[in-house]
Amino acid sequence: MNDLSRGKPQPAITDLTRPFWDAAREGRLVMQKCSRCGTINFHPKPWCIECGCRDLPWTSAGPLGTVYSFTVSRSVAMNSPVWQAELPVILCLVDVDQGARMYAQVTHCTPEEIYIGMRVAVHFDPADSELSVPRFRPAASPGVMTV
Amino acid sequence: MSADVAIVGYGRTPYSRAKPGEPVYTVDEYIAWAAELALDKAGMSKNDFDGQGLGVSHAEVAHTVNWSAATAENLGISPQVLLRADQGGASAAAMLIRAAAMIRAGVVDRVLVVGADTPLNMPSVAPGLPLSPERTRGVYWDFQGPFGVMGASAQFALVLQRYMHEHRVTPEQLGKIAVSTRYHASLHPGAIYRKPITLEEYLGSRMLTDPIRLLDCVPIVNGGLAYIVTSAATARSLTDRPVYLLGHGEANNYYHGSRSFPDITHTGFTVAAPQAMQMAGVTHKQIDFLEPYDDFPFIAMMTIEDHGFCKKGEGGRFVEEHNLHFDGDFPLSTDGGQLSGGQPGGAIGGFMPLVEAVAQLRGEAEGRQVPGATIGAACGFGGIPYGRPGRSCVSIILGT
Repeated sequence: MNDLSRGKPQPAITDLTRPFWDAAREGRLVMQKCSRCGTINFHPKPWCIECGCRDLPWTSAGPLGTVYSFTVSRSVAMNSPVWQAELPVILCLVDVDQGARMYAQVTHCTPEEIYIGMRVAVHFDPADSELSVPRFRPAASPGVMTV
Repeated sequence: MSADVAIVGYGRTPYSRAKPGEPVYTVDEYIAWAAELALDKAGMSKNDFDGQGLGVSHAEVAHTVNWSAATAENLGISPQVLLRADQGGASAAAMLIRAAAMIRAGVVDRVLVVGADTPLNMPSVAPGLPLSPERTRGVYWDFQGPFGVMGASAQFALVLQRYMHEHRVTPEQLGKIAVSTRYHASLHPGAIYRKPITLEEYLGSRMLTDPIRLLDCVPIVNGGLAYIVTSAATARSLTDRPVYLLGHGEANNYYHGSRSFPDITHTGFTVAAPQAMQMAGVTHKQIDFLEPYDDFPFIAMMTIEDHGFCKKGEGGRFVEEHNLHFDGDFPLSTDGGQLSGGQPGGAIGGFMPLVEAVAQLRGEAEGRQVPGATIGAACGFGGIPYGRPGRSCVSIILGT
């Protein structure tokens, strides 16, 4: 079962954000990089938050990152009972290498194992053929390719 | 700053958790009710605001959003100037700054500022339906909900977890704020949760999203609040107890350090509070009480730090070392705050610190009156930016 069929919150995909979701479906994490000052912008912005340049081509980010903070959600809120089956959910702020800071789930990890500073690697659920949301897992876990 | 603008009236309706059998009021009904309380307090009529100013706070919840001019229509007021703030929990304090500027500029003499929200009137919410209009559209929410962000408590838990990594604060210290706030709520007839709690109950309350416990979270309520601000001359003609706006500071979309990788353990109060205190010309020792925007105990603690009552990272110890009760050496959230008083929607709770500060400075905080209070600080704190705390931070210094 993929995210769509589970009824989880879905993004509206626009011309601005389509490159992100297209790349995600192909298993790549991309972010906007300012053509003038080189700042990586995330979430997608209308212009560079550093210099105001509107030319923000998409560039590869990650695949590795570092957990900046985490929380373990043990009950659902915001009328999202669809998360119930997955609880506890580890939600993090991840500082992505060659990227920016982003909200993301860390999977393949227990609430006892997660810590600030943990190195994590992005992964995509291949079952999500229509929409793939990037998640992270411990970089040290089996099957993670590092670069 | 000269004391040329004053608050002369305030109102706070009873709150409702919308339990079966309780009357169901709309946003505009709550606004009219709160305005009536404020007008009565000031000895004014709604018609005194024709040709003057009306400030209307944005109600956050999607089905309650109110247009300012429609609210004027429903109230039968024909203002010259409509003020609007959509800064969440900072809206009430931000509109005080806007109203004061309009009065100082001579555009109007007086402004009635109102806000209400009825988040619990929702008939039923389908799974996944966002609560807030900002969450129904836009890239901001598109990159949160699908990624596992399940609401404000999780977003703030990320901030607190990082704070606990960089600085020192214990659950016992945060619990002291929750317990003291509940004690104040027990003294306020309008608070939603009035039964005192113990530190053990706080520590034993269910972990919702680590390190945020159940008793760290605000209860959402239906309700409305209002205040009236006038020129000092008008204020003195109306009351012998005007509460003057001595200073204000504001910071919106504050980044601490860097835009891309900010330090999220600092809030915009780092900028707003010194502005307000400098304008007022007051020192920390002169401030008799602090009414923070307390949607979580650790936000109250960070507000104390970022106002400079202690150094960054020492908020926990500061709380531990001070008596936070109304008659203690650092009175905090003397109305029971939002934590125990209730939060009307996501935005209107921001009226509460102002309303309580004015009640204290008029000597009308019956049963919880800070002895001899002449100067108080009140805060607005609104909106949750992506991965950071508090989009809008407003510091207000009031005095007699």
